[in-house]
Amino acid sequence: MNGPLIVQSDKTLLLEVDHEQADDCRRVIAPFAELERAPEHIHTYRVTPLGLWNARAAGHDAEQVVDALVQYSRYPVPHALLVDIAETMDRYGRLTLTKHPAHGLVLTTTDRPVLEEVLKSKRIIPLVGARIDPDTVAVHPSERGQIKQTLLKLGWPAEDLAGYVDGEAHPIELAEDGWALRPYQKQAVENFWHGGSGVVVLPCGAGKTLVGAGSMAQAKSTTLILVTNTVSARQWKHELVKRTSLTEDEIGEYSGTRKEIRPVTIATYQVLTTRRKGVYPHLELFDSRDWGLIVYDEVHLLPAPVFKFTADLQARRRLGLTATLVREDGRESDVFSLIGPKRFDAPWKEIEAQGYIAPADCVEVRVNLTDSERLAYATAETEEKYRFCATTETKRKVTEAIVRRFAGQQILVIGQYIDQLDELGEHLNAPVIKGETSNAQREKLFDAFREGEINVLVVSKVANFSIDLPEATVAIQVSGTFGSRQEEAQRLGRVLRPKADGHQAHFYSVVARDTIDQDFAAHRQRFLAEQGYAYRIMDADELLAEDA
Amino acid sequence: MSDEKTVAAPRSLAEALRGRDDASLAALLRSRPDLITPVPTDLTQLATRAGTRASVVRALERLDRFALQTAEALAVAGDPATYGELLGLTAGDARDPVVAAALPRALATLREQALVWGGDDRLRLVRTARELLAPSPQHPSPTGLGPTVREATSGMSPGRIQEIVTTAGLPSTHDPVSAVDALTALFTDRARMAELLAGAPADSLDVLGRLVWGPPYGQVAPDPAPRLRWLLDRGLLLPTAPGTVVLPREVALHLREGRAHRAPEPVPPAVEPAATHRPQVVDATAAGQAYTALATVEELLKDWDEGGPSVLRAGGLSVRDLKRTAVALDVSEPVAAFWVELAYAAGLLASDGEADERYAATPAYDEWLERPPAERWARLAEAWLTATRTPGLVGGRDAKDRALSALGPGLDRSAAPEVRHRVLTLLAGLPEGGAPSAGSVLARLRWERPLRGPQRTPDEEDPRGRLARWTLSEAELLGVTGRGALSAHGRALLGPRPSATAAAAPGAGAKARSRTSAALTGPEGAGDKLPVHKHHRPAEAPLPETGPRSQPQSQLQPDVQPAPLSPSEQAVASAAAARLLAPLLPEPLDHVLLQADLTAVAPGPLRRPLADTLGVLADVESKGGATVYRFTPGSVRRALDAGHTASDLHAFLAAHSRTPVPQPLAYLIDDVARRHGHLRVGAASAYVRCDDDALLNEILADKRSAGLRLRRLAPTVLATQADPATLLEGLRAMGYAPAAESAEGDVLIARADSHRTPPRTAPEPVPEGPPVPDATLLAAAIRAIRAGDLASTAPRKPAAAQSAAGELPRTGPAETLATMQAAVLTGEALWIGYVNAEGAASQRVIAPIRVEGGFVTAYDHTADEVRTYPLHRVTGVAELADDQG
Repeated sequence: MNGPLIVQSDKTLLLEVDHEQADDCRRVIAPFAELERAPEHIHTYRVTPLGLWNARAAGHDAEQVVDALVQYSRYPVPHALLVDIAETMDRYGRLTLTKHPAHGLVLTTTDRPVLEEVLKSKRIIPLVGARIDPDTVAVHPSERGQIKQTLLKLGWPAEDLAGYVDGEAHPIELAEDGWALRPYQKQAVENFWHGGSGVVVLPCGAGKTLVGAGSMAQAKSTTLILVTNTVSARQWKHELVKRTSLTEDEIGEYSGTRKEIRPVTIATYQVLTTRRKGVYPHLELFDSRDWGLIVYDEVHLLPAPVFKFTADLQARRRLGLTATLVREDGRESDVFSLIGPKRFDAPWKEIEAQGYIAPADCVEVRVNLTDSERLAYATAETEEKYRFCATTETKRKVTEAIVRRFAGQQILVIGQYIDQLDELGEHLNAPVIKGETSNAQREKLFDAFREGEINVLVVSKVANFSIDLPEATVAIQVSGTFGSRQEEAQRLGRVLRPKADGHQAHFYSVVARDTIDQDFAAHRQRFLAEQGYAYRIMDADELLAEDA
Repeated sequence: MSDEKTVAAPRSLAEALRGRDDASLAALLRSRPDLITPVPTDLTQLATRAGTRASVVRALERLDRFALQTAEALAVAGDPATYGELLGLTAGDARDPVVAAALPRALATLREQALVWGGDDRLRLVRTARELLAPSPQHPSPTGLGPTVREATSGMSPGRIQEIVTTAGLPSTHDPVSAVDALTALFTDRARMAELLAGAPADSLDVLGRLVWGPPYGQVAPDPAPRLRWLLDRGLLLPTAPGTVVLPREVALHLREGRAHRAPEPVPPAVEPAATHRPQVVDATAAGQAYTALATVEELLKDWDEGGPSVLRAGGLSVRDLKRTAVALDVSEPVAAFWVELAYAAGLLASDGEADERYAATPAYDEWLERPPAERWARLAEAWLTATRTPGLVGGRDAKDRALSALGPGLDRSAAPEVRHRVLTLLAGLPEGGAPSAGSVLARLRWERPLRGPQRTPDEEDPRGRLARWTLSEAELLGVTGRGALSAHGRALLGPRPSATAAAAPGAGAKARSRTSAALTGPEGAGDKLPVHKHHRPAEAPLPETGPRSQPQSQLQPDVQPAPLSPSEQAVASAAAARLLAPLLPEPLDHVLLQADLTAVAPGPLRRPLADTLGVLADVESKGGATVYRFTPGSVRRALDAGHTASDLHAFLAAHSRTPVPQPLAYLIDDVARRHGHLRVGAASAYVRCDDDALLNEILADKRSAGLRLRRLAPTVLATQADPATLLEGLRAMGYAPAAESAEGDVLIARADSHRTPPRTAPEPVPEGPPVPDATLLAAAIRAIRAGDLASTAPRKPAAAQSAAGELPRTGPAETLATMQAAVLTGEALWIGYVNAEGAASQRVIAPIRVEGGFVTAYDHTADEVRTYPLHRVTGVAELADDQG
């Protein structure tokens, strides 16, 4: 009774990380509990029905879960909680989706009342076909994802034993010349492959692309890769050519400008969700080849229509990649039910400790509005308030001071408002990349930045994702998309690529004091704070004084 | 009982009672306390009272299932019956040894309760009990047996009876009585009966098979099918009414191999452990829960500290307040109701009795808080164990369909303490760490106190079952049990155990029995009317022999059910429980872990002052073994509002944190403190404004202004609590010439204010004499007068018509009742005077059948039918003259 774990009544588990049994305990609870927060002393895990069912799917039973809790718990675990866990886990597998030799996809049950209950649901009725026998009902093959998702919502998750199609074979090998998959990347590939489909969560800069490449090398089949934008698509292509046996010709780009379909095709979400006259003309891409693997990059940004298409692709292996599975729209559970459960998750600080991402110094700089700005802020319309405080004059001075302090290093200035960025670019004498900047121009500027020809780059949110800037060591955020947690994490990710000389990265967030900017900043920082990134808070005056 | 054999056999219950010794009479009165309220004058009166319907019903309801089955068997046996006859009815022709072994105990119970009297050769069931239990078309017996051949043939023509006798292969007789006797003799003779049935067509036997376990009545067409005809011709089915036939009792008993019950249940179903945990785990879990119970009650009363929810007009807590409390405690509503009721039962909260009635903690709560945790728990547990209030009812509706609210009226159930005690005693009977399934506990309770009557359906839960179910869940919440098994401190609550085997024996013994009984009832499982067997049958298969086993004989001892303890005994037991619990409760900590994500984790319970301060400084995010706090600007502001300063808070965190205070947290406190109190708000009722600072200095310096209590808010503003008029007057008295200002800052022209009252209504005129009644009132008054008039005049006419037969008998109510009851026993007819609902008086000759609940049911010779008369309308009774009898 002196274990590292404390079980709370709201089904969170508190793990004391400095305890000698902490690592053993972490291993045992990881299959069923979701790591929610990982600050310095006590990590918080949460036990959810979804997590328990995923554990069942992975072959763990209620007894193991209960044993783990009882064994490592410091205080006696409330009986009701144990009963609840056992009952929740018992709900899994009463329904199974299987391939019937004569009827195709069928839903069978071992517990007839459960089948009766779900068949009464209005949401299930359109998804199923004829009743084959009292325990079996036919399911339209195209509704495999939809029915799984709906059953999950009804609280009777179905075990999917219908298997995967292999897809069209295509030789892909990793070209491990002078580099190798890192241990955690190997682990992620293995977990994914073993589980069939699912999501891999790795911090920014920890090499998610390589997990994708590794999985492709496992699948050895034609692959469809879905990415957020064209720049990101080019980078995937570049990386794949460099890291695998694939050649330029084997990789197609399917975007607004090019429509190539090759054994490995990289498509953007944008082109897939383009709608003309009420139909999605590019959906045929999914059927254009017998894909053996579909990779979803930045799965936390998966647009709603893609969810719907994904529901139809349940027979193909799916890999989701993300750094932050927090969706501000709360659709995490849809990601889990349609792409698959989380197969691998590594806390940021753990990867940092292994040296694969750079340690970062996060600083929140609080600036004061000038008196006239305060008056203007107080009288501004609600929807204008954030813009007002986020673009205060003082932020410019602070940004300049920080840039001066790190002169000579690669610095990114990231913001939301174009006017602000243009002004900053002018004052810092740095190029600005924004929505209207052409792709060619963007790539030219990125290259220049990479080569060190440019030290300071001002970027709008267009560069939020998947731009690879290896040597950026300082990021200064002057404004953001309100309280978006994943944007904050992605931006920090810009500076986390390990530095050649191993030195620290710096992340500055400039925030206007006593305004909603400060509230949003607190919300934005939550994810990173929960990952163990402690923000130092500084007053702008302090910073300016140091600088002087 | 043995001494009864030596004296002459008693001829009545009174005589039988007279033959009993004091101890046995004491046992009777203890188990049927209603017999001595008020104390009867003699044994005859005691016997009469013991035979009243209400008392017998009460006694029957308190029998265990087998004693009841025995009584039911006696009710279908002859009167008097022999022990052998009774044994045959209970144990069957096969003489089931388990039943045979249990029968003496059941019979002893019935004798002790004065439900049965007479020696083993002449067992008599008290007549009222017989009436209650014997099968009749209106009240089918749980035995499923029909009337005897004699009863069923009572209305039949002699010729028809002779036909039956002949067809059954018996010689015809001279009179119906001997014919019926011959038929009865045939039906009760197993060998001849078997012979007769051997010749029956197979489908006729099917018909019998359908009726054998009851209900014994069946419908037939006017022209019965041959298979029915065969049975009807031989009297194996007898007609009761047109289109209805009945299976005579003797035939059914033959087919049942003599058994009155399909499934006799001679021994109580065992309470089997569904799971066994290590006693340490059980105790630790229970202790953890006990700590949670203390924390929850404290949290509840802290939540209500500054004025709890208001009391509903009908009493109790509104649904909304209960919901709010449930949210505040982070529990479900029924659980919140439990905690609220528990605190109430323990005297920790009550209504404050003010005009605007609210619930609040009592002074006892403050004392309770000061006591060590284990004692605090013992107080809660004791209050729970002995309370008649049942929180489980909250949210339901009473008989009048009024919602039952927490803390409200209608929640008392007098059986609750006894059921709680019984359930815990049953748990205590298991080996340590054994957690029974709720089903087996409920099955046992149902056996001990079965519901009488046929309305037993498996879904409908009896009140005791509900109480038991609540007891199990509440015991877990309170930490009396852990993982469903009774903890050591929970065991101590029950007091010292009377004997090691008393509680364990029935459980252990029943295992042996349940196998035989399963074999006995196995094939008939589908139609089993007694759901009890089903409950424990699945559990019995792979039973390892655990726990102390006693001799099988010990189960035959009257089941010792320790009664709930007396208050002083309970106090001792609670103290013992507290001593056992104390070392198991977690030691409060004096430190927390602060983290950079602005949370603090207390890895265990905190010392109270620390918990209190932290509770103000941070919001609780999750509770349980540990507490997670989150610091927010709002929570820090709250702490500053409560009078802490930023440096206090820094010192507090530094003192109680095991790790350095994270920079963001320190910054948060400073940042909030920086803004805290920047704006100041106060109340002033008047001000003095002047552009000239010097003048205001002068006023302030003037001693005469002291009474105005002026305070300088700014160089050019003075404020005061005095009203503007006083201020103006004061300044004028000091020689200044102030001008009044309106709210908008304009100069107010001074004018004397017109004085007004608050809104008032004009006085009502006061007329002389009473007010003139309105039409409605008048109509109602006239109706009432006419009705009274009718009542006084109406009875005269019929009374005059009957007066020739003599005056109405007049006796006092007590005498009336006594005479009626005597007549019930003797079966005599009485002459009564009766006033009907319209007030008409009449005289009637009646033969009382039973007297109960203020009514007499009697065969009315005057009307020639059975009628029921309210006793209060009977003016008097008189015994009939001999010539009329």
